Formats: sequence, structure tokens, C-alpha cells
Amino acid sequence: MSVYITASGHFLPGPPISNDEMEPLLGLVHGKPSRLKRRILQSNGIHTRHYAIDANHNTLFSNATMAARAAEHCLTGSFIGKRQIKMLSAATSQGDVVLPGFGSMLQAELGLSDIELHSSHGICSGSMMALKAAFTNLKAGEQPNALVVASELTSRLFKASRYEAAGTALDFNAEFLRWMLSDGAGALLLETQARGQCFRIDWIRSFSHADAYPVCMSVGYPTDSDHSQSWQDYATYAQAEAAGALLIRQDVRLLENIVKLGVDGYLRLIAEGRVQPDKVDHVLCHYSSHYFRGKIFDMLQRAGVGIAEHKWYSNLYTRGNTGCASIFIMLDEFRRTQSYKTGDTIVCMVPESGRFNNAYMQLTVVEA
Amino acid sequence: MTEQVLSPQGQQCLQALMRVWFEFERQLGRVPLLQRLERGQFSKADYCQLLLNWRQQVIEGSRWISRSASSFERDYSDVRSTIIGHAREEHRDYEMLERDYVAAGGSLSDIQNAPRNIGTEALHGFLMYRAGQPNPVDLIGAMWIIEGLGQKMANDWAAQIDKTTCGDGSFTRFMRYHGANDDDHMQKLYQLIDRLCQSPAQLTAIVRTARVTARLYCLQLEEVEHEY
Repeated sequence: MSVYITASGHFLPGPPISNDEMEPLLGLVHGKPSRLKRRILQSNGIHTRHYAIDANHNTLFSNATMAARAAEHCLTGSFIGKRQIKMLSAATSQGDVVLPGFGSMLQAELGLSDIELHSSHGICSGSMMALKAAFTNLKAGEQPNALVVASELTSRLFKASRYEAAGTALDFNAEFLRWMLSDGAGALLLETQARGQCFRIDWIRSFSHADAYPVCMSVGYPTDSDHSQSWQDYATYAQAEAAGALLIRQDVRLLENIVKLGVDGYLRLIAEGRVQPDKVDHVLCHYSSHYFRGKIFDMLQRAGVGIAEHKWYSNLYTRGNTGCASIFIMLDEFRRTQSYKTGDTIVCMVPESGRFNNAYMQLTVVEA
Repeated sequence: MTEQVLSPQGQQCLQALMRVWFEFERQLGRVPLLQRLERGQFSKADYCQLLLNWRQQVIEGSRWISRSASSFERDYSDVRSTIIGHAREEHRDYEMLERDYVAAGGSLSDIQNAPRNIGTEALHGFLMYRAGQPNPVDLIGAMWIIEGLGQKMANDWAAQIDKTTCGDGSFTRFMRYHGANDDDHMQKLYQLIDRLCQSPAQLTAIVRTARVTARLYCLQLEEVEHEY
């Protein structure tokens, strides 16, 4: 049985926010402008992004609301209505509440009845895991369709007050993601029947390397820690916050591993015969930063499996890095704005630095 | 990064070797001593222990390379020249390593009298055996791993060791030195891959030797913490 992406949608909250507008919105930490901002923004190449919070730090859209908006946008362009949806597979790195699962909250927000539910939890690759769960469910003949939604609301972590609560010094690793991540949601509709010109999912594969690498991106460990204690081990959450255990961090030193592992997975898929580099027409890669794009290019080129630059598509620079939602938001904009023809092969790659999980997918453009 | 392996066979070989390398890096990531280095829980004593165990391999390294040069027949005289040049450049590197060991607080007689650890024994035995075979083309796989490790030491480990042991670079010279000649070495290696990998059988042999070398190298590092 084949599975097709027959519709897609996205939701990006509020107006695009330029680089100069970021800090006034997120706030000055201890009243001082950031000294790292310019450097980090230069390296990631992002010009605009969206936030679900305003300058007074009111949350204008919850994570579940954004996810629901993206899902509704997706269904607007589909052949089926909410009543016919059989499965919901949802992903986020952090829901609005710790429990229950994000999928449950989204289901209620969307008003979907009697569905089969799946929530996947992770960072950037969470959406691909949610997609794979839906894909295999349909492929096994369990359901005829599934709505897959990924949403991120990280800006709440970047409020100046959060950093101030964690003490005086602001380390590079804790500040890094403040200038990288932003909010948004994307949705895909999967069906076992093709509709018009749509994308057939040929395969989805991922390779996780958490056993071989330390944690690279995290929320939950205190500043300068040996990771023996997490935010839940403090007497009160106030103590955890004061210790910096609620800040989102990237261990920048480890980040380069993502390029090597991304290329490694790609070479594996070539060796397995799943990817034929000369047959790839479009590449959608969720690189978190423009800086890594060059590195990935070079290494693929060196291995003789490079893909011409004009085949690469990304909307990172205008939509921002929205974590697990990025690949869906990218695919949605690709569907709507780029030119492709029946028979084209699209390869999607999502390297996640959390603890190094790399996901890949191949799509073929088909006509019903 | 402009250097290219040109022939299709060489390119396939390079792809396979890259995968072996990435797998090797993951194997290294599971070695407890190196995990502690990553986490910053690594003392000067750990570093000395690492150098003590490393020295034997560095000494034996130049021996197998020299031996492999002598095993290449007339048709490979160009390869022989390259390998002899390489062996000549590196065959006294261990002296730099010994100086680092002393600078880090170790005693010269300790490191000079230390025996090979079990992993070094196995790695040395394997490489000397392969180096004695006629035209040991597959050893390019071993060079790939060992050259790559030189880069990793220079780019990752040296700075991390200095950071965790509050060093100023004065006792990580051996590791850093490997970074200085990297580009040149890698360029030669790419040329050798193109020159020596001309059939599927050679490709298989090169990749196999790379994998064995990687595994035994890892064993050598795992054994650093075993005392008898």
C-alpha cells in the first residue's frame, strides 16, 4: 500500500520579526544588550522569524492553538473534512502543559472525534518520528488517513526574565538558542489514496546515536553541571530555576558532529540503494543554521555524492528555525511556491542535535 | 576542501571509508575514558595514562609503515616513495610525545619502560602482518583511520584536555602538532586512494583493513584504564 501527502498547511504567529526587533521583544537581560546576538545571527543567516508572544510577554497563541491553526490550514486544502480524520500524530519539544501528551491537547483544540492518537517527543526530529508512526500505520492498512502536526513555542524560554531568574552570568551555551529558535507549526495530511498532484512517501528512515555522544541540546540540567541532577530533583521549582536548570542550552562544542552524522546517514542510504544521488531533484534539509549548510555541502561534495546547489530549498532565512515544525513548514511552502513535476524525487533530511538523531525521507511527485 | 578523489572506484572507496570513520568516532564515543574527557571529568593523571599507553603505538606506527613501503613491488615505486617520505616524517614523533608526558608531570623512565597494552599488541600484530604481504594496498585503510585520528586529536582532544586539566598547551604539543600538517597529509591520502583502489577487490580489502584498524585502535584506548 502506498501512502501520499495530499495536503499541507502551516501557521506562523504574528508578523515577521526582523533581527533588530528581536531583542526589544524578548527583552534585555539585566537591562543590557546582548554581545553575542550579532555574531550568532550572522552565522545562522536568519533574517525574519515569528513569535507567539508579544513584547509584554503575553502568550498570544498557545502551542496547541498554533498546531490546530496549521492543521486547519492543511485541511482547507484537502479533500476530506475533520469528521473523516482517523489518526492524529503530533510532535513538539515542549507542550503547553507537562502532562497529558501534546496530541491529546491538540485533538481537543481541533475537535477531532474517535481518532487514533500518537504523540512524539524529541527536538527537531520529533516531527519525522510522528510522521513515521502515521506512515507505518497507514502502510499496515490500519487507517486510511492521518493528520500529522508539528508545533513549537520556544520563545517562552527566551524571555529576559527567565535568564534573570537563573542568576547573573549568562553563558554562551544558554544564550545561543535565543538567537536561533522561534515559533511556528506545520501540518501534513497522509492518505492511502493519491489526490491530484501529490507526494508519495517512498520511505522514512532515521539513525539515532545517543549511545555514542553526550547531550548536545537540553532543558533540565543546571548550569555547569555533570548531569547528575535534573530540574525535578530540586526541593522546589524555584530552586531549579535559580540553578539554571530550566534554561535551554546548546553545547556548541559538540554541534559539528551533526554534520558528520548527517552525511554518514546519507552515505548509508546510498549504500543501501535507497538514495540515488543523481536522481534527486530537490533537497529539503532542516539545517539549523546557514553555517552548517556550507559544511554539509563540502562534505557531500568531497564524497562525490554532492547535489547541485540549485536543487536545495529552504525557507529557514525567512520563517526561522522552528525546531520540529521546520521541515513541515518548509515542505508546505515548497508545495505552494516551488516548481516541481510529476516523477520528481524529493529528499528531506532532519539532523537533530539534541542527542544526535538524524531522520531522512524520500518523496516522489505523483499524479492521481 | 577542493581536493577530490577522481576515479569512480576511488570515490566509492572514499564513501565507504568515510562511513568507517564515522562508525569509528561513535566507537570512540563509547570508550569510558573518552566519555569522561567529553564531560570534562578528566585529570592530568588520566592524560598521562593515555600518553603512556599511546607511546608504543606511535613507535610501532613508523615500523609498519616502513615495512609496508618495502613490500610494494616495482610497479608501485611511486607509492613506495610517498610512503617512505611519510614514514620518515613521523618516525620520531614519539619523542615529542615523551616530552609532553614529562611536561605533564610523568617520569621519562616510566613511559619508556611501559609495555604495550593488549590493544596495541593486537593492532601492531595485525598491521605488521599486513605490511609484510606483497603490495599491501589495503593499508591505505589503516592510514585513513590513523591520519583521521591525528586530526581529531588536534582539533578536538588537545583543547579539551587543556581545558579540563587547566593546561596552557605546553603538554599537548604532540596532539596539536598533528593538526599542522593535516591538509598536506590528507591530500596525499586522497591521491593514494585514487592510485591504489582500482578494483572492487581492492576496495573490499581497503575497507576491511580500515575497519579492523578502527576496532583494534579502540581496543587500545579501552585498555588504557586496565592495569595489571
